[in-house]
Amino acid sequence: MLAAAHLTRRFGQRVAVEDVTFEIERGEIFALLGPNGAGKTTTLRLLAGLIEPSAGEVLLGGHRVAQGNAARLRARVGFLTESPGLWDRLTVRENLLTYARLHGLPLPGPVVERSLATFNIGDRADEPAALLSKGLKQRVALARTLLHNPDIVLLDEPTSGLDPESAHDVRDLILGLRDDNRAVVLSTHNLDEVDRVATRVAVLRQRLLALDTPRSLRERLFGHRLRVVLTGHAGAFIPVLRAGGHPDVVADDNTLSIGTRDAMRDTPDVVRLLVEQGAAVVSVLPEEHSLEDVYLRLVREGAPA
Amino acid sequence: MNRIAALVSKEFADLRHNPGVFLPALLTAIITIVLPFFVALVVPAWTGEHLSNSGDLQVAMQMLRTQHVLDGLDPEAAVQAWIFQQFLPLLVLAPVAASMSVAAYTVIGEKQARTLEPLLATPITTFELLSAKVMGALVPAVGLTLACFAIYGLGILVLAHSGAARILVAPRSLGMVFVLGPLAALAALQLAVCVSSRVNDARSAQQIGALIILPLAGLLVGQLTGTVALTGGWIAVIAGALVVLNAGLMLVGIALFDRESILTRWK
Repeated sequence: MLAAAHLTRRFGQRVAVEDVTFEIERGEIFALLGPNGAGKTTTLRLLAGLIEPSAGEVLLGGHRVAQGNAARLRARVGFLTESPGLWDRLTVRENLLTYARLHGLPLPGPVVERSLATFNIGDRADEPAALLSKGLKQRVALARTLLHNPDIVLLDEPTSGLDPESAHDVRDLILGLRDDNRAVVLSTHNLDEVDRVATRVAVLRQRLLALDTPRSLRERLFGHRLRVVLTGHAGAFIPVLRAGGHPDVVADDNTLSIGTRDAMRDTPDVVRLLVEQGAAVVSVLPEEHSLEDVYLRLVREGAPA
Repeated sequence: MNRIAALVSKEFADLRHNPGVFLPALLTAIITIVLPFFVALVVPAWTGEHLSNSGDLQVAMQMLRTQHVLDGLDPEAAVQAWIFQQFLPLLVLAPVAASMSVAAYTVIGEKQARTLEPLLATPITTFELLSAKVMGALVPAVGLTLACFAIYGLGILVLAHSGAARILVAPRSLGMVFVLGPLAALAALQLAVCVSSRVNDARSAQQIGALIILPLAGLLVGQLTGTVALTGGWIAVIAGALVVLNAGLMLVGIALFDRESILTRWK
């Protein structure tokens, strides 16, 4: 639906984004992760048609987006900028009405009223935007982003600076976008958020360091591991497991961490070997590395995974 | 056009919520209305002298002979009419000069409030954006000028010598108020908006925008000293030049409005 093909953007001598390629489909939440200055916002601006690539191209439905048709792209894209960007002196309703008209909606009034109801901000509609809390401003900005019913939604750090409850609300709204079969691109520093909502993750540091589902990224970087908790000291069972064909075993107090190639085949075998040797097994779980581990390894190593 | 209307309507809403920004324009307008009455009516009444007796104002009598709308006026009314007409350019330009601050702040204000990026993410074109920004300052400024003109006319009709108000329907007066004034205002405000999109400080935009006012202010001074006679022909020439200037300013404005730099370099 929306694709970046070898997208490169330079600002003078500085390379902001280099040779980035990916494709985003409907019903997908595509997360862009990366340190500050990694090129996330530049990538979003390129996708929104706000700036032109130095090389490569943005493709919308297979057609190249150029200066001449960028306005057509912008009509299909909803872009939530890093700052809510509301006109402070205008009321919430006036803010939304202006954008509804800017998008050329035939019936801006009813659309705005529906949006106020959908985002649960109707009771604050006649208040100046300046009086809203940060969370409410973000909600209004999200309502503004979706007024023209875009099928591509670009979100630049949508929960940045929000309290946990507001962030939770915004995350629910983002999941709602996916359920509405829109393509969502989310730039964020919040790894927990990505873990909760993203279907795919792109780790960016000027270049694309990795692109996959969160689960696949974990598996590629850390492999499959089992975490077995015993009642007693676990170190005594390492030789048994190694002899049984599981050479990658480490123990820490009463816990064993065992590398596996195929969890379906190896898990029963590991449990059998331990029980046969008299181990009292408390729990057996797949060992999950956090997305933070994945991210830090990718960013520190810097090489594409 | 709908997008221009949408953004102009937003600009008006912004002014409605913050009418204080037009206070300088209003105060300037009031002063420019009062000033000619002070010169033409209060000072003579205070000193007990008739304006028509002043040798310095004989030049006025000569200039008035070219405007037939004043044929048959008594000398005192004619001199009053001359004074009221000489102050018309000031009346036309003062609200524009004062509303320059609104225009100068318009793009910079959006940059500073970080409202420009979401705006640029809509399908709005640069022409539409700049037009709306200029109209947002121009319409109130011209509206204020016309309101001032109406009050001015009413004041002359009520307070001045009989027949002096006829000067306001002279082609020269009408040309200044309805042609030169709006065109000069458009040029000044376009320049201010143009500069506003390139600089990071509203004061710079305001000062550069004011450059347009300077030649017109020079005309005013020239008229008052009798060096320049703003005839119908001159009004037509200046109006033509302003039309060309306005078209050029719009093209330059569009060329200078660099969306990318505004988004990526301005913090």
